Amino acid sequence: MESAYLIWLLVTPLMASLVAVLANWIGRAARPALEIAHMLGVTAVLILVLIVAGQVLASGEVSALNHWLRVDALGAIFVVIVGLVGFLAGLYSIGYTRHDLEIGEMDTGRLIAYYGLFHFFFFTMLLAVISNNIIIMWVAIEATTLSSAFLVGLYGTRPALEAAWKYVVICTVGVAFGLYGTILVYSDAVNVMKETGMASLWSEIVKNAGALDPTLLKLAFVFVLIGFGTKAGIFPMYTWLPDTYSEAPSPVSAMLSGVLVNCALFVIIRFSIIVNLTLGPTFTQTLFLVFGVLSLATAVFFMLGQRDLNRLLAYSSPENTGLILVALGLGGPLGTLAGLLQLLNHSLVKSMLFFLSGSILIKYRSRSLDIVKGLMQAAPVTSFFLLGGVFALVGVPPFNIFLSKFMIVSAGIASGHLWLMIFCLLLLMLAFVALLGMLSSVVFGEKPEGVAKGEAGFAMLAPIIILMLLILVLGVTMPTPLSALLDGASSVMNEGIPIVQSTGTGLTADSILGSLGLSQAEEPITLLGVQSGH
Amino acid sequence: MLNASLINSMSGLLLLTSLLVIETRKPRQSAILYSFQSLVLVAIFLALAIFRGAPQLYLWAASAFVTKAILVPLILYRALSKVDESTTSLNTVSTPVSVLLAAVAVVVSFTVVSQIELKSAADFIPALAISVAHFFFGQLCIVTQRNIFKQILGFCLMENGSHLTLALLAYRAPELVEFGIATDAVFAVVVLVLLAGQIYRRLHTLDSAELNMLKG
Repeated sequence: MESAYLIWLLVTPLMASLVAVLANWIGRAARPALEIAHMLGVTAVLILVLIVAGQVLASGEVSALNHWLRVDALGAIFVVIVGLVGFLAGLYSIGYTRHDLEIGEMDTGRLIAYYGLFHFFFFTMLLAVISNNIIIMWVAIEATTLSSAFLVGLYGTRPALEAAWKYVVICTVGVAFGLYGTILVYSDAVNVMKETGMASLWSEIVKNAGALDPTLLKLAFVFVLIGFGTKAGIFPMYTWLPDTYSEAPSPVSAMLSGVLVNCALFVIIRFSIIVNLTLGPTFTQTLFLVFGVLSLATAVFFMLGQRDLNRLLAYSSPENTGLILVALGLGGPLGTLAGLLQLLNHSLVKSMLFFLSGSILIKYRSRSLDIVKGLMQAAPVTSFFLLGGVFALVGVPPFNIFLSKFMIVSAGIASGHLWLMIFCLLLLMLAFVALLGMLSSVVFGEKPEGVAKGEAGFAMLAPIIILMLLILVLGVTMPTPLSALLDGASSVMNEGIPIVQSTGTGLTADSILGSLGLSQAEEPITLLGVQSGH
Repeated sequence: MLNASLINSMSGLLLLTSLLVIETRKPRQSAILYSFQSLVLVAIFLALAIFRGAPQLYLWAASAFVTKAILVPLILYRALSKVDESTTSLNTVSTPVSVLLAAVAVVVSFTVVSQIELKSAADFIPALAISVAHFFFGQLCIVTQRNIFKQILGFCLMENGSHLTLALLAYRAPELVEFGIATDAVFAVVVLVLLAGQIYRRLHTLDSAELNMLKG
């Protein structure tokens, strides 16, 4: 189905970005004008992504501009994540930037740069997830680095500039590998397909995947994994990540960790589908498992003993990316479903935690765990949400991540990876120790003198409350539209691909979801239909 | 076949100019040499356009001439004329080691590329291998050079390598795709140069080894 909304999804943030730049010429009225244009922009995008998701639910997929833009169920999940977290980060930005203006860390010029770049960054991420042209996907991911580099270095301090430099150099070099992977897939497709114009479209390559050259695709996928894996925070390419997340303004860190990482993972998943259709799933699943476990293990190692709040949260990102890769590496409908759910859940929880760390930074003027103490006394509401957020992140019920982690472990046991799951659980327990250590240090203890009592303003609390509600809702129930989208996405990822795993334990997607009381979709989740159908 | 061997030889010239860009001590001279290298790339695109009868490659040649032979070197040269270059020739490895590493990159690239079977590139295996090696040369420059402007030039070299790969393998891609990649490349240089300028003004250094505050 054709949908002009896809074009509006790109035009809207571009217009908001342009308006921000034009605000330069209106003098004193610039700040309110910027805020209004900004909120209109992020709200419009949120409405548009919900409309697009609705259209995908109704008709399976939507496209525009001769199929250069295309959103299927898999894409819809990512589009919703980008739109939702982007909207909330936008909302949080209002209070955050007002505070920075108040204390003189930001002037109107910087505010204009912030909002202008925010929306351009938003545009590049949306382009990455709705582009059906694999080369434009690469262009968009590369553009995410360029548009967010100045957001990272916004404050112009020594550490901020250092972080921005490392970020842009490591990511542009890394993502260049992704271009090689993309070119290899494209040139292979050109050899096979009659219409060369179509050879850059993912949906067309997938149809011809059976005829592609397996050796070339293996090489291409390694390049893709290194290239886009640099942005996704996969071992060993995630060295830029703690510096960047800790020095960027908090709403930007939330966007980087909650959205950008997923955009890069999305591109990797798209390429893995092509490779799986050509080679069978073993090749990509093995790579996912190896890099997933390595990312998880090394990130946990860095989390232990970390004394900087943002760096601790930052290292928890590759930990979770690792877990998502492990789930995708387990494969089959249950593994992919668990991986996608973990990806969505992590986005919500991590962006909330970065909002909270922003509020804490404003209050304490520090991120050091040696200084940030006694939050319960200083800001009880913030500390309540921090408690909830950290419990959610480590996977305590009734929060959402418990469910996806449970599904990942179940998928692992169901596919005969018992020892791997035990190893992953041990690593997750270490992450649990690191995060709980942080929590007890921040929430309890003596509040330093000079730190005033009081909460961050409502503008900064509102997105946190919305996220907490979502986290709780998704912890106890699976809304029908979401379950239908996940089901569709799992089909996109598994259709036509043989299942190589054994299911000796008798655990199945239906039985696991049923045991969690989650088969609430009007139409039952048909994951096993996909499995048995091939 | 004469044309194919001409293109392969011209690609060899790219490697030579790369080494000069990396090893020249003054970044401003490197920027001029990079412009010269981009002219070689433009000539290769023109030769490919004639050899393959592919008119879109004329457009590629024109855009590479404007962006890579003129615009990017000019941006770099202007930015470099505002900094003190006396402290800028810092390498982490000596020239012989650098050349040795470059030779390794060439051997590895030839080995990998000779495994690939692509009809469209059958005549250009040496050029294809050189383009991949060139990409690694750029990385080598980023890793071995401590001057942040030389690191930007390293990125430019990488980009020239991948651009040649693109011209050899994906020249039939829609023009908008080439436009997107070229725009990204120019913007990347602009962003890097602006950041390097800020680093120089605020931190008074061009040495990436001094950007070592964030650890752990």
